[in-house]
Amino acid sequence: MRIALTLCSLLVAGSLFAQVKDSSQVELQEKTSELKGQVEGMNEMLLDMKSTVDALKKIKITGYIQSQYQTAESDGIGTFSGGSFPSSVHSRFLLRRGRVKVNYDNDLTQYVLQIDVTQNGVGIKDAYATIKEPWLKSFSLTGGIFDRPFGFEISYSSSSRESPERTRLFQTLFPGERELGAKIEITPPETSPLSFLNVRAGLLNGVLNTANENDNFKDLIGRVGVQVPLAEQGLAIDGGLSFYSGQARSNSRFVYKTNGPAKNFTVDSTAANVGSYHDRSYLGADVQLYYDLPGLGGLSLRGEFISGKQPGTATSGVFYNPGSTITPLYQRNFTGWYINYVQNIGLEHQLVVKYDELDPNTDVEGNDIGAPGKNLAVADVRYTTFGIGWIYHWDANVKFTFYYDIVANEKVNPATNLASLIPFKEDIKDNVFTVRMQYKF
Amino acid sequence: MNVFAAVFTFATLLLGSLYPGETITVKGSDTMVILAQRWAELYMSMHPDVTIQVTGGGSGTGISALINGTTDICNASRPMKQSEREKLKQRFNTLGVEIKSAKDGLALYVNESNPIQELTLDQIKAIYTSKITNWKEVGGPDSRIILYGRENNSGTYVYFKDNVLDGEDYAAAMQSMPGTAAVVNAVAKDKFGIGFGGAAYGKGIRFLKVKKDAKSPGYEPTEENVKSGQYPVSRFLYLYTRSRPTGALKQYIDWILSDEGQQIVSKVGYFPIR
Repeated sequence: MRIALTLCSLLVAGSLFAQVKDSSQVELQEKTSELKGQVEGMNEMLLDMKSTVDALKKIKITGYIQSQYQTAESDGIGTFSGGSFPSSVHSRFLLRRGRVKVNYDNDLTQYVLQIDVTQNGVGIKDAYATIKEPWLKSFSLTGGIFDRPFGFEISYSSSSRESPERTRLFQTLFPGERELGAKIEITPPETSPLSFLNVRAGLLNGVLNTANENDNFKDLIGRVGVQVPLAEQGLAIDGGLSFYSGQARSNSRFVYKTNGPAKNFTVDSTAANVGSYHDRSYLGADVQLYYDLPGLGGLSLRGEFISGKQPGTATSGVFYNPGSTITPLYQRNFTGWYINYVQNIGLEHQLVVKYDELDPNTDVEGNDIGAPGKNLAVADVRYTTFGIGWIYHWDANVKFTFYYDIVANEKVNPATNLASLIPFKEDIKDNVFTVRMQYKF
Repeated sequence: MNVFAAVFTFATLLLGSLYPGETITVKGSDTMVILAQRWAELYMSMHPDVTIQVTGGGSGTGISALINGTTDICNASRPMKQSEREKLKQRFNTLGVEIKSAKDGLALYVNESNPIQELTLDQIKAIYTSKITNWKEVGGPDSRIILYGRENNSGTYVYFKDNVLDGEDYAAAMQSMPGTAAVVNAVAKDKFGIGFGGAAYGKGIRFLKVKKDAKSPGYEPTEENVKSGQYPVSRFLYLYTRSRPTGALKQYIDWILSDEGQQIVSKVGYFPIR
């Protein structure tokens, strides 16, 4: 009887255990199935999100802000170190740049819009579209407002540049750096034996940034560049040859040209000069050398030389851009060059030394400027600038620049009585010290 | 006094940044992350004064970190692009130093139940560019091919695109996985899946033999085949530094290239460079 009861108990317990086991297995299966459904659902969501993220990855938003303090040797000086100081002022804070750039890159097509927000307002810097041919992926066409394809310093962004400003040479020849037009670029892919070569050439209005065209001539600008990386030696040599072939239309009958032997300007005032065209032509060569100095860091030595003809005005060497005014045109032959040494010291420090010269009128000397009957003026004065600075990279986004520009002008004829030239009998006290903080993302 | 304080502060900042101590940061390729960890573990056990921090994230991420100055060594399973070298030039005035640290056969994985044994390079390209979408087109079962690959910050992604797809875009249907191990897991669970990645990650799946063309014999990504160049999809695994390495960094890289360091390469499943 006891045995029978024990057997019955075991059977009931076994049956109950089996039922519990069955029900827990079913529960487990249900939970597994539920989890599987959730994972599949999440996977679908992930795939959906991935397509959205992939599309968003094509959009890049970058920007930088440059805030700076400057102090000059004297009040109200004219300077290329961030623009002239107001009269009676020799120190100032400036928001030099407040850039935001949006770039949509679809591999074969690209959209770029860059604006600049400063204390002076909002301006368009870049606005262009680029298409690349899909076969060789070497040729591209760009239309809009973009950097003029000339030399090295124009396209070297001020967020990367070590000196606070571009040289007087580039600020005179290419103010604002950008221009309206169209350009082609040839950049063979890395796998091509011609990958060391790059060519850029464009047809542009030849006016200024976003300004409207004022004649029917388009200016042809181009650069043929090479890059020779010698990685084994820790060395790279880049360089290029550039040209600018343009015309400026005179709105005035008065056209001044230099008379070489006499070292003066002679004027041609025939009525036919109104609407006549005058050469704006430059030839340039640039070289950049990079070397990895063991134990210290990389160094670069960059230089550029430009020579050519520049139509300007009596008071300015910047290219002649008459608009609606009737300003006499002055045609000058000029040369300019610079050399820039940058030494990285460890991860965070850089030493910068730069020297540049602009002779806006190579046909005359300082003593001719201000001499009676020469018709020479401030725009004919030669300048040199020696700059030395230190850069401290706070982190990947922030850097501080401490830079001193020593500016020297050619001394003009000591006998001159022209009010505009009298200060140029001596070296004007126009050195500038700049402290800049930059945030870039 | 103020001038003295300024000079002192400046000198401290300068010297502090020049001699940052013996911590080496390594970042980059997910393909190389296990290899880099093994190197670091063994080296730190022999040099307790040196700390080596290893993270992955992909070759592109590592190269960005090198350019931003946030890593000392970048691991990359592809060569650095010209555009990336330009960024290094702009910030550091160097081209970067490239060091070949190991060799890898880029394996094609299929599920163990898949009857396909070998594919030609053209077939692989056609599969990953959607020109072939069904296994029966290459002699397999009548079923859709499920593509697995890597994300675009991966050196493996770039290498495969440049060298196998000849620069063509991947099929839109390809599922991008965050690491080679994830590709392997996905293919191991998907009997119609195909994936690619380092030969060291071969567990749970089967390697396909790869043929240069229809007439060539097929080869598996074995050490012998990769070293002899017969396996058609092989690559170097690189270390990049910003400048020519010195001090503790140089000693560590020299050790990686030594017999001892290269033995680790074999143990992890890649192939020594010598």
